[in-house]
Amino acid sequence: MTTSADTLVRRARVLGVSLPMPDAADRVVGTLEYTVDHSVEGMVHARLVRSPYPHARIIDVDVSGALAEDGVLRVVTGADIETAVEIPNPFFGLTRRDQAPLAIGKVRYVGDPVALVVAETPQTARAGAESVLVDYDELAYVVDPKDALVPDAPVLHDEWPGNECGEWRLDRGDVDGAMSNATHLFEATYTSPMANAVPFEPHVAIAVWVDDFLEVWTATQWPSAVRGELAHMFDIDPGKVQVRVFPLGGGYGAKSQLKIEPVVAAAARMMGRPVRLELDRDEVFLTTGKHPARMNIRTAVDAEGRFIAREIDLLYNGGAYAVVTPKAVAQGLLRSIGPYRFPNIRIRSRGVYTNTIPSGSFRGAMTNQAAFAYESHADEIAAGLGIDPYELRERNLLEDGDLFASGQVMHDIHFRELLQDVAKVIGWGKERASPAGKAIGKGLAVIIKTTPPGTRSEVRVEVHADGQVLVHTNSVDMGQGVLGTLAQLTAHHLGVDIEKVRVRDPDSSTFDSMTAGSRTTFVADHAIGEACESIRRQAAEIVAGRSYGSDPGTTPDYEEIMREASITALIGEGVYQSTPSDALSNPLDVKGEVADHWHQGAVAVEVAVDVETGKVEILRCHGAAWAGRVVNPIRARQQSEGSIIFGMGPALFEEVIFVDGQVSNPNLSDYMIPSIVDVPINLTSSSLESPDPDADIHGVGEMTIPAVAPAIANAIARATGARVRDLPMTAERVLRAILGEPE
Amino acid sequence: MTRFVEPRDLQEACAILADDEWGNKVISGGTALVLMMRQGLIAPSTLVSIGRIDDLDGIRKDDSRITIGARTTHTAIAASAEVQRWLPSLADACSRVGNVRVRNVGTLGGNLAEADYAADPPTVLVGLDALCHVIGPHGARVLPVADLATGFYTTSLGPGEIITGVSVLIDEHRVSVYEKYVSRSSEDRPCVGVSATARYDGTSLDQLNVVVGAAVAVPRRFDEVTASALGGTLDETARRDIAAAIGEAIDPIEDARGSAWYRRKVTAVLVKRALERVSR
Repeated sequence: MTTSADTLVRRARVLGVSLPMPDAADRVVGTLEYTVDHSVEGMVHARLVRSPYPHARIIDVDVSGALAEDGVLRVVTGADIETAVEIPNPFFGLTRRDQAPLAIGKVRYVGDPVALVVAETPQTARAGAESVLVDYDELAYVVDPKDALVPDAPVLHDEWPGNECGEWRLDRGDVDGAMSNATHLFEATYTSPMANAVPFEPHVAIAVWVDDFLEVWTATQWPSAVRGELAHMFDIDPGKVQVRVFPLGGGYGAKSQLKIEPVVAAAARMMGRPVRLELDRDEVFLTTGKHPARMNIRTAVDAEGRFIAREIDLLYNGGAYAVVTPKAVAQGLLRSIGPYRFPNIRIRSRGVYTNTIPSGSFRGAMTNQAAFAYESHADEIAAGLGIDPYELRERNLLEDGDLFASGQVMHDIHFRELLQDVAKVIGWGKERASPAGKAIGKGLAVIIKTTPPGTRSEVRVEVHADGQVLVHTNSVDMGQGVLGTLAQLTAHHLGVDIEKVRVRDPDSSTFDSMTAGSRTTFVADHAIGEACESIRRQAAEIVAGRSYGSDPGTTPDYEEIMREASITALIGEGVYQSTPSDALSNPLDVKGEVADHWHQGAVAVEVAVDVETGKVEILRCHGAAWAGRVVNPIRARQQSEGSIIFGMGPALFEEVIFVDGQVSNPNLSDYMIPSIVDVPINLTSSSLESPDPDADIHGVGEMTIPAVAPAIANAIARATGARVRDLPMTAERVLRAILGEPE
Repeated sequence: MTRFVEPRDLQEACAILADDEWGNKVISGGTALVLMMRQGLIAPSTLVSIGRIDDLDGIRKDDSRITIGARTTHTAIAASAEVQRWLPSLADACSRVGNVRVRNVGTLGGNLAEADYAADPPTVLVGLDALCHVIGPHGARVLPVADLATGFYTTSLGPGEIITGVSVLIDEHRVSVYEKYVSRSSEDRPCVGVSATARYDGTSLDQLNVVVGAAVAVPRRFDEVTASALGGTLDETARRDIAAAIGEAIDPIEDARGSAWYRRKVTAVLVKRALERVSR
């Protein structure tokens, strides 16, 4: 075998290049297959019967009418699932197994699934569902988290008295002492309601059993978690569960954890036929939503505006089932701190069960609610002290070497650069004259987000003898272009042409905790780097004694090496495991290392407020994300600007409204999302990079969204003098704030 | 199961509709009807398409009137040179209905027949004294658009009756505007809509119609308020007084687009703005 230098080829740079998504053409012409398009031979169709009551005991489910419908094959109830021998563990949940595929014993919110009608056609299943008669015994219910905490409140789960759904505390320094000596104290309460992520593609799943093997096609962001929980539910080896995912028609957190997979898999198991369930839009609203939150902040500051002490009380509405809430409120605690130094700080973050839609992940989860509060509060303090809001932030921002409130030493911190970037673009300090009837103002916000703790990602990279490179991961493409991004990372680490790299859709052959939390690009860089390093090492060992080069721009000729060594493939595996941390081992004393690295973002906005109607128009908006290194500039930009557009809805008008425990607006006429016409003409973004070629790659999926609402709130306040502390900041709320008219 | 039929003439369509007053529904663009069906609000036994019936489309002008066929889309009305020239407020209102997808398919007749309170064109048409042309099993009749909607999603149409078109008198001394206010997304239905239609004799105000829609069950005219301004010049004081009086007089509904308190405030603001635009 030769080791001539001509097998070392210098490749074109693939990082920092705006290569298109590999499936871009299919997406544009509509030929990309989504889960909602998929069908399986012999499949039958299901429709859920849902509770009309927020809290009720199920007395009887009469399925005879439904079974009398021509074409209805089976009606499954909670009682059937509870007693089915095929389903040894009918309860599922990633933090608490408190949810059954269909309600067992009682229903806990309006929309709680009670029965599943399975029929030959979707139309028949629908007709059958209307014929199922359920006899309920209504119970007292609770919708407001504050009401759920009082001693004689209705209890949702007997196992969790007091409706407790997670409580975490942090206490550092001497908050009471600092508060009692402070010359300036500020206090306010900020609220965020439930919002829906409104992915275009609804939740949809198909389950197929072949003997003891389960195959599930589902629109999920968490295929590995679905696999693990289904294996537990049926008490089978996880190796017998394959979860297949096509690109999602949007996720935004709504397709995290488990949703409809358990009921579909259970029905398919009981019937011995493939079962498909697709939710209607109103059912998507009834399935998950952003955690409603109430955050009270008390801050002691000195005359120069330096934060001396802060106390935060944070209450999250978890809804009827835990889903992620008990753990998410820990992130809620960490993400309530903000990008500032606090010598003294005390936080209590609680989750509570109520008879409402189960809360779950939502783009910017547990940061949006907190950032709206702490960044609004920052401006209120600045206004109170007569200090410029930019200057106030400058005086308090964390820097490298500072201690985070948990005690972790900060590193790779870039808040000042982000703030400078957005302030410069928006023209901070240069005020414009307002035309008659309008008030024009600018606002800033800067945010920090912890990385999700305890996650793991595996990749397997295969270089085949024909030169093709296959990458197996369990990361889900949900429009963010992850398949393209991972291909670029692989081409970079392996030193091959991007055209040769193909990233497979998730197929359960590798593990990935989730496609969420802006983590995938960061963790995949590490895991793919490790896998490719292994391949390069194997190649070098074959070509004994030859240097395979430490320069990633040079690479061995894998095809030639494999040909001469008569092998068919080189396979490398890589794993990213986030650092084990004991910071969250004691819920009542959060302390220590809480993040692998720090997500950082900022937004500046200029608004015009119609002072007669309260209507807010966004004249200009600029977002900035700390990217470390950018893999694909256009996709990074789409993330930051898409986040801003997405964030405008919950900031200005999106709210899931509950009336007597029932959602009154579960459709896209009564629940509006921003339209393309709402997108500001002047919408721009920056992805800030390090000069260090080995700098950490940071995820950029959610760096601007948490800053959108507070930046707008601050701009409204600077324009009109009116402060809105409740989301959404509807025109009516803004007008009431201007006129001093309470709701 | 819903039946779908496509009669070739109006008489046949009316007969099918009259067969089952509640079960059979006319479908044209379907933008409202299909949404209602999907949400389970209605379950028609027969959908009577008027898509294959001649002469329901298009905009015609004669010496005195502009007539718009019931099946004319919002997009076609907004783009019509005749409508832009003679009924600019209607062109404006039609150009701002829903979103481009709805405007391209949804029709004026459907908009009127649905009688959704949160609509744009009816508010303008009532202010223009538009007439609604209707045909039914007992022949054709004409009624003011103002008398068509009787409440939320209800009309004065009888069994088997179909709207065939709308006509408006041409008047070159008339100035008419539409103020649409959306409180949420730009593609939302109106929270409040106000039309103001004025006619001047020289500088003196000859006629003034102010109509408020979307904040009330059916578009409401305020002749009792605007009468006081006739003969005057619609100066700032007159405009302010009318706006305040209408804001007081209206009894607004509440929904996700705004409370009654808010709609009252916004109505006064929109009336003031509309009157500024029609004043000389």
